[in-house]
Amino acid sequence: MNDSNHVSSVDFLKNLRGFRELGLVVFIVSISLLIGARNPRFLTWGNLHDMLLDTSILSILAIGMMLVLVTGGIDLSAESGIALTGMIVGLTLIRYPQIPAVLTLFMGMALGAGFGAITGAIVAGGRVIPIIATLGMMYVYRGLTFIVSGGRWVNAYEMPDDFKAMATGRLLGFSNLILIAIVVYIVFTYFINHTETGRQIFAVGSNREAARIIGIRTNRIIWLVYTLSGALYGLAGVMWIARYASAQSDSASGYVFTIVAACVLGGVAITGGVGSISGILLGSITIGIINNALPMIRVSPFWRTALTGAIILIAVIVNIAITRNIERKALLQRKI
Amino acid sequence: MNGLKMDTYVLELKNISKYFPGVKALEEVGFNLKKGEIHALVGENGAGKSTLIKIITGVLQPDEGEIFFHGEKIVFSDPTVAQKNLIAAIYQNPTCFPHLSVTENIFMGHPIVEPRTRRLLWNEMNAEAMRLLKTLGSELNPGSKMGDLSVAQQQMVEIAKALSLDARILIMDEPTAALTSRETEELYEITRTLRKKGTSVVFISHRFEDIYQIADRVTVLRDGKSVGTWNVSEISEGELIKAMVGREISQLFPKSEVPIGDEVLRVEGLSRVGYFADISFSLHEGEILGFSGLVGSGRSEVAQAIFGIHPYDGGKIFVRGKEVPIDSPWKAMEMGIGYLPEDRQLQGLVLPLTITDNITLSTLDRYARKGWLKSRAGHDISQKLFSLLKIKASSIFDKTYSLSGGNQQKVVVGKLLAGELRILIMDEPTKGVDVGAKSAIHKIMSDLAANGFALIMISSEMPEILGMSDSIVVMREGRITRTFSREEANQEKLLTAAVEVGR
Amino acid sequence: MLQKILIVILSCFLLIGMFSMSAYADEYVIALVVKNVGNPFFDAVARGGQDACDDLGHTLIFQGPPTPTVEGQIEIIENLIAQRVDAICVSANDYDALVPVMQRAMDAGILAISFDSGIHPDGRLLHINQADFELIGRLQVQAIAEMIDFEGEIAVLSAGATMTNQNIWIEWMQEELKEPEYENMELVTIVYGDDLRDKSYNEAMGLFKSYPDLRGIISPTTVGIGATGKAITDAGLIGQVQLTGLGLPSEMAEWIQNGACQAMFLWNPVDLGYLTTYVAGLLLDGEISGAVGEEFAAGRMGEKVVTEAEDGGIEVLLGPPFRFDASNIDEWKDVY
Repeated sequence: MNDSNHVSSVDFLKNLRGFRELGLVVFIVSISLLIGARNPRFLTWGNLHDMLLDTSILSILAIGMMLVLVTGGIDLSAESGIALTGMIVGLTLIRYPQIPAVLTLFMGMALGAGFGAITGAIVAGGRVIPIIATLGMMYVYRGLTFIVSGGRWVNAYEMPDDFKAMATGRLLGFSNLILIAIVVYIVFTYFINHTETGRQIFAVGSNREAARIIGIRTNRIIWLVYTLSGALYGLAGVMWIARYASAQSDSASGYVFTIVAACVLGGVAITGGVGSISGILLGSITIGIINNALPMIRVSPFWRTALTGAIILIAVIVNIAITRNIERKALLQRKI
Repeated sequence: MNGLKMDTYVLELKNISKYFPGVKALEEVGFNLKKGEIHALVGENGAGKSTLIKIITGVLQPDEGEIFFHGEKIVFSDPTVAQKNLIAAIYQNPTCFPHLSVTENIFMGHPIVEPRTRRLLWNEMNAEAMRLLKTLGSELNPGSKMGDLSVAQQQMVEIAKALSLDARILIMDEPTAALTSRETEELYEITRTLRKKGTSVVFISHRFEDIYQIADRVTVLRDGKSVGTWNVSEISEGELIKAMVGREISQLFPKSEVPIGDEVLRVEGLSRVGYFADISFSLHEGEILGFSGLVGSGRSEVAQAIFGIHPYDGGKIFVRGKEVPIDSPWKAMEMGIGYLPEDRQLQGLVLPLTITDNITLSTLDRYARKGWLKSRAGHDISQKLFSLLKIKASSIFDKTYSLSGGNQQKVVVGKLLAGELRILIMDEPTKGVDVGAKSAIHKIMSDLAANGFALIMISSEMPEILGMSDSIVVMREGRITRTFSREEANQEKLLTAAVEVGR
Repeated sequence: MLQKILIVILSCFLLIGMFSMSAYADEYVIALVVKNVGNPFFDAVARGGQDACDDLGHTLIFQGPPTPTVEGQIEIIENLIAQRVDAICVSANDYDALVPVMQRAMDAGILAISFDSGIHPDGRLLHINQADFELIGRLQVQAIAEMIDFEGEIAVLSAGATMTNQNIWIEWMQEELKEPEYENMELVTIVYGDDLRDKSYNEAMGLFKSYPDLRGIISPTTVGIGATGKAITDAGLIGQVQLTGLGLPSEMAEWIQNGACQAMFLWNPVDLGYLTTYVAGLLLDGEISGAVGEEFAAGRMGEKVVTEAEDGGIEVLLGPPFRFDASNIDEWKDVY
């Protein structure tokens, strides 16, 4: 028994050394302590919960974006997808307030998957490079949002109470939105690591030609990642309007950069092939801390904008430095 | 050979033709494969072997001709059809997923899953990967990232992948090119075992040693046409070469005697954490210094350190007696050092560019005036090198991705020569190159030495090392174990030095 | 094949979009250029503008960028100049940046008017001021002071840091706070939510945490006050932190009814659009000249007068803002 314990602790250390995101963890902890020192309320359970709540929507979006980035693409249409699905669901709720709140989540996913499937068809079938195709669809979906809403907003008083309660309610001490994010994370961790299709996404991103040669239907995989990204931004769109109790045509304008930033912070390579669930989770949390913590420390709002950029850069640099250090330590142990 | 007596062919290709824009890659080629035979496919680079293989595996579709599988006509419309019929292939440039693990590379496309839930069974796959690699005599960790492995190790994984498919027809394109002799032996053994089990193997190789060791029959391609098929026992090496190149040539071109001049490069106690340590040697004008040793012994890493790609962290480099810290390829080139990488696609060539663009790429400033490129001067140089190196292409304006492996290698050599660099480091200069091109490259190297160039040649081929080098350094696990002069070296001594335990 | 299908689909989309545009021909063409489309406030402005055009027999064009940017407005105005419209009325995203393009419009013989959020007198003939800046600024301080019994910390949650209106209002708020009756009140900070729902919400949450003794928030912008209402509700601070500012009745209905906001203000955007368009129409018809002191009948708005503006230009004043509270919100929430 003792022996096996010993082995597992050695394994743990080994795993820790191989843990690429150690840098991010170190960064998150130190920035939290730093901010906590300035405003002790930051480190209270209530605030940490708020921060996780803030991260829940972003982290779900980051999964979809990661899958697309892993194949070497990018989905710029995600931000208007959030607005469009949110708006459609919001307008539907005005007409049919009796729809159960849980159902709206699935409605959002289905709608989003549909929009994602169209984007995916253009990228995979139309052979348009992703950044152009999704930029085009970003405008199309944003325009459609204005068209379906006629420019109007869906306001808090027009939303059914159980729908709004979905965002504010708690279960086992955790906000429902956090729990939704946890479920999504469990599902996608399984999908990415334990299903054939999940791994094929990485294969296509690592070497598309080789993937084709071994018989992976690369176009189908590419179409799939945009569809999944769609389903996730559809879900996030519904969560978004529930959280802010408002659906606006210009919701989430410019948000795609935040999503991509969370992915890149989490070690997803823009060039494709690399990305991990644990990474983007930490990346999203880092962004969540920045968004949540900076309003809590009393610095000028103008300084805060610059600080946000600086913190992201520092996080990336710390991460790179620690990863390098780990690699170097591994090399030192190599026998020559 | 039981298989040889069987009449029906497992696979038969009739009158296959394939055209690429401006090129007839294959012209009415016939090829057949019996059950349980090892069939060698040989020919110079650009003869059409790779195209033929891609047609068998369904990656390419023929423009004309028919394919019969067990006597029945079949169309390999895409790679999955061939895979379903248990045809597997190991390609020349490992077609791997650099970001994924060894296990995943082996099982991508045909993973081991739980039958009901289709959940991936990682433990089983890792264990099976480990087992497959062990049968190949490799101790690779299945969890390693593919991109971190050397080309030879990647080749091993490719072979393991083909084995894991349990294929009825296995195609190996140059599987031994990157392997050491020990690993090659293991591969022979495995191939023979497969034959015994009834698997048919198509074996492409430039090494006659391979053909005579294991093949039953051999088919020769030349310029996209089939020259003929023979039983290996009925054709001599000379005849085979003649069939391949249409003329007889000596296989190796030994280096001509050249007076050795002044010392141009001296390395003292060079080391890089995790890769090599305490490397010292010196190089003179007119000398070819051979670097021998097993793949993974640190030879390429030393070369890359001297050229500044992966900087060293200990020791000194002296160029013409003066110490120079080399921390970038730019600095190395300023010192007159050139490097011909092992993986020419990765480090040597910009494939979408033309031959002339590639040749003049690293020396652009010489053909530029006030920032404007004077392409005429560059084209003159390229044209000269193009004819000197006998690059097979329609003109210097051909894109390099359309060239065969050997000709790509010649373009990389051309790029080095255009730079007027006097110290050249060549990493496996003839790997994956056919006989004709090989002797041409050897002649070029010999001529360079005669003109006062100093060359370092890394090679895994014993005859090449012994034939070309003035002196030989043998490395093992990151250190130099022995240094030999041309006279005292022989195959046995080199091998012993490469594998000997203890220092 | 798929590419062809895509081309056909996208072309259809384009055609539908083109035909849905309405043609205009008769009389004068008056263009309303707003900060951004999809904002209910400006939709109401457009309705008023249409009413005025109907009264006078002119044609209205209503345009605005999808997000409130100067660049988007400049592009739209340049197009309008090319179309040779007769009048351009703009609610500017920047006080100075639109001056050159509006001067070009004037050079082309186009009537240049600003409304709601003004531009520099060099770039306009006339400004339609919804209300006196001074009055609006002071009114909001008076309202919050009553809610918190003239005692405690207050904060301002504004839109962008460069927004003309908000900045002038805030200056007047600070002016009002210098009065002796506010000696027990302190304006602790001004934060900016950039009129983004998520950012405004986070800023409000940040205020609660960095200023635990905060008693009230003034948010002189529609997105900001809505997001703050939601944040106060979510944080369980109804009654503890008071809220006032400028908001849309439809959006604020929920937060006025649940007590998060006791009262807030807004002028009637329908009237603002009506007056702006009506004045443009009168100027085009030559009915008025636009000289200081000129009195005229502005349709259903009654008698108005041209006055000198604070910034040295001339303006027409709409009138005092309207106060919304629990007693009247129900009748207004479905209007705009």
